[in-house]
Amino acid sequence: GMDEEAQTAHVSWDKATLAPVDRLRSDRADSPTPGLVEGTEPGAAVQKSAMFVHAQSFEDLTAEAEKATGKEENPDESGECAEELQVLVGEKNIEEQHNRDGSPQGRTKEEDVSSETWRSHRKHVFVLSEAGKPIYTRYGTEEALSSTMGVMMALVSFVEADKNIIRSVHADGCKVVFLAKSPLVLVGVTQTCQSEKELLRELHYIYYQIVSLLTLTQLNHIFQHKQNYDLRRLLAGSEYLTDNLLHRLERDPGLLLSAVTCLPLANSARDVVSSSLQAAKAKNLVFSILLAGDRLVTLVRKKDQFLHHIDLHLVFNLVGSSSSFREGEGWTPICLPKFNTAGFFHAHISYLEPASELCLILVSTDREDFFNMSDCKQRFLERLSKRSAYQALKEALKCPSYSMEQVGIPELRHFLYKSKSSGLYTSPEFPFVYQSDEEQERLMGLYQELHSHLHYPTRPLRFYYRCGETENLLAWVTNGFELYLCFSPLSTKALAVSAVNKLLKWIRKEEDRLFILCPLTY
Amino acid sequence: MSARKTSFTDKRTKNGTSKYVLERCASVNEYYDIVFKVMLLGDSSVGKTCVLVRFKDGAFLGGNFIATVGIDFRNKVVEVDNVKVKLQIWDTAGQERFRSVTHAYYRDAQALLLLYDITSKPSFDNIRAWLTEIHDYAQKDVVIMLLGNKSDLAAERVVKKEDGEKLAKEYGVPFMETSAKTGINVELAFLAIAKELKHRATQQPNEPKFQIHDYIESQKQTSGCCGLK
Repeated sequence: GMDEEAQTAHVSWDKATLAPVDRLRSDRADSPTPGLVEGTEPGAAVQKSAMFVHAQSFEDLTAEAEKATGKEENPDESGECAEELQVLVGEKNIEEQHNRDGSPQGRTKEEDVSSETWRSHRKHVFVLSEAGKPIYTRYGTEEALSSTMGVMMALVSFVEADKNIIRSVHADGCKVVFLAKSPLVLVGVTQTCQSEKELLRELHYIYYQIVSLLTLTQLNHIFQHKQNYDLRRLLAGSEYLTDNLLHRLERDPGLLLSAVTCLPLANSARDVVSSSLQAAKAKNLVFSILLAGDRLVTLVRKKDQFLHHIDLHLVFNLVGSSSSFREGEGWTPICLPKFNTAGFFHAHISYLEPASELCLILVSTDREDFFNMSDCKQRFLERLSKRSAYQALKEALKCPSYSMEQVGIPELRHFLYKSKSSGLYTSPEFPFVYQSDEEQERLMGLYQELHSHLHYPTRPLRFYYRCGETENLLAWVTNGFELYLCFSPLSTKALAVSAVNKLLKWIRKEEDRLFILCPLTY
Repeated sequence: MSARKTSFTDKRTKNGTSKYVLERCASVNEYYDIVFKVMLLGDSSVGKTCVLVRFKDGAFLGGNFIATVGIDFRNKVVEVDNVKVKLQIWDTAGQERFRSVTHAYYRDAQALLLLYDITSKPSFDNIRAWLTEIHDYAQKDVVIMLLGNKSDLAAERVVKKEDGEKLAKEYGVPFMETSAKTGINVELAFLAIAKELKHRATQQPNEPKFQIHDYIESQKQTSGCCGLK
């Protein structure tokens, strides 16, 4: 199907920077109402500006990657890029290097691509070049799939020849979704009930993952130079990042909601951590991010520079996927594609203590900034360890989440709540009925479905209630928040509505702990 | 704090000729007299990180291969002739896409450990390309050492020890085979580097020159009875 609206319907949300209206703490309503304006919902930042580029979640992903704020901050552009490209394309030992780099990776891909097991995987993802050369497959090896990917490229080209675009093929319980992002083509194949749009959203994430490793400028340059180039050479050793990202897409509500979640921490302690980080600044430092596992402790940014949640998820994925940062201090180039697809930032990545979950990421524009960043980390640590906040932070790590019992609404099993203006969400642990991986993934699938209904491009719903055999579901979107709830199948709609009110009150009461209300800039 | 500052100014003022000032520096929990930067280079998966971990923690990283992302920076203090030498060790990713990042740090290094994998012919064949890069980007007086790693894997060996020796001789660099798994020659490699750098920095006019080749020859162990191919 050629749905034209897919190209026109979306609004470029990330052009608007996030600056909620000026207001005082006393403006915050005790009990949020449906007429709530954005920026006053539970979890919204108290101060003028929040941390992220304004992201209206779904639409944002289908929008084109574009250059965001702050041209002058764009790192490494012209000069250094040219040098890097020369290194990449012009080196004489190119061909030999391929063999070794491609070989011993830590994943088991030896799977017969003609087998039933291979075919029966719930979701396949393929990435290929416009010349039809395999770049990535989730299962099996790229070599074994070169003819399959050739066929995929033939389909894309065939439809393109008629000045048209192939979007999806539906056959035999299978959806095949295509995403052409020159110079790459991404193909998703699913046997689940996942909608085409959701799958497309995931393909975009994979695209950004690859761009974050190489920059779009480099990708374009490489394929202009050599159409037949085998990109696996440059991606060698990074396949696991794409594997893990696909895994996250199935399980992490943050990727679905276009939001991140925070480590629950007393407001006062978080403010001290933030200000310690704020004080440890340097000329080329753009973002300082402190993580506890997959949870944000705090984020300090340069004034007028906003991070996009997609970029932050790519950083999460990099840090979470690699034990290489566990010891010592890591220093790596990273492109944040929603900020700028043309250049690399340079990230200093290290854990505060060897066995700690606390990981500090300092993002600089200068690739020679390692020692400056290392120094920033030391200054942050010195400041932090002088204060009791560090102890409070370590205590908070012991309970990084909360249970539904603590929320105290018996008929409610689980929920996702996103504050739109802050780009932060909160969600409890999975309750007992969703203990197994399969059950958790099933629930995430249900949330995805609700999300699809709420964000349907032509006919978005504001409110959605569904009774099922195993659970009842409710989804509600207002100007201020998005809410997804899961109830016992014995619950009623009236109970569900009253639970929403109780829940919003509870979140309001706990917002100091669950959200970052005072984001800082250097 | 002072330790870091010192190393930083060293980098700035040093120009091959100036001597390091011996000054006991206190870091958060370690004392040292002198600091040097050492970089590990070589193709992806030759065992750079494993060699480093063996040296630093005396352990072997078994299990799945975990590619280093970008550059990884660690410190270890060793004692050479009653002088505490802090080695700042840069472990680099072997993957090609990180090449330009590592280039930027070559010139800071005083010593380079260049590794290949004795079970991988391409990793050995690429050593010449690595040496060319070193020539292009590193300091002229950088100490280079060639290491043939994974010497415990005798059955899978494809690069003869003599080939390693021959290549090392051609470029005039010291050579030995190492095993991060058994630990053979790993400590020696770093110690020889530390000794050489320490002697260079503190040598008195009447003192004899430290002979790194002789030192290694006298200390190194062969990789076992069946490794004599």
